[in-house]
Amino acid sequence: MLRSYELAYIADPDLDEEALNSLEETVKSWIEAAEGRTTNVERWGKRKLAYSILKRSEGYYFIFETEMPPQAGRAIERELVLSEQVLRFLITSRDQ
Amino acid sequence: MATRSRGRGGPRRSFRRRPRTCQFCSDPSKIIDYKQTDVLKRLIKDTGKIRPRRDTGTCAKHQRALAKAIKRSRHMALMAFTTRRYR
Repeated sequence: MLRSYELAYIADPDLDEEALNSLEETVKSWIEAAEGRTTNVERWGKRKLAYSILKRSEGYYFIFETEMPPQAGRAIERELVLSEQVLRFLITSRDQ
Repeated sequence: MATRSRGRGGPRRSFRRRPRTCQFCSDPSKIIDYKQTDVLKRLIKDTGKIRPRRDTGTCAKHQRALAKAIKRSRHMALMAFTTRRYR
């Protein structure tokens, strides 16, 4: 069974376009590995952070709309925590 | 609460009437989402604190949703936890 989730993350501002794209693909592959799928990716671009995270004062915002099984979150969270290119992430349910 | 005091020094706190209706109940098209900082910013004080229900007139149900959204928003560095001036 799939549920709707929204996965948002802030990527390191020092990454170039190529690295951002490959990071996006990697995140997608994690979602697919957990038997989910990505329906839409929204890029906010570089934004100033309200407070600094890991000495960075800005970051690239990515918002994924996904559908994945409920137990997929844990594995993906683990990957995101370990990824050094990701400053912050948030997975929220989109079901109303 | 606003009408108490007297007794021990200090002036009587001025009474401010709160808005009677919850803005999210009266307008269902307004959705509470952590990404909409323009909506959330109006519901925090300039210190960064969440404004109480008695100030904003938000109903209990929406205040709960709001608190969660603001906290998520802070986590994603879209909103500040505190303002430097008040730190």
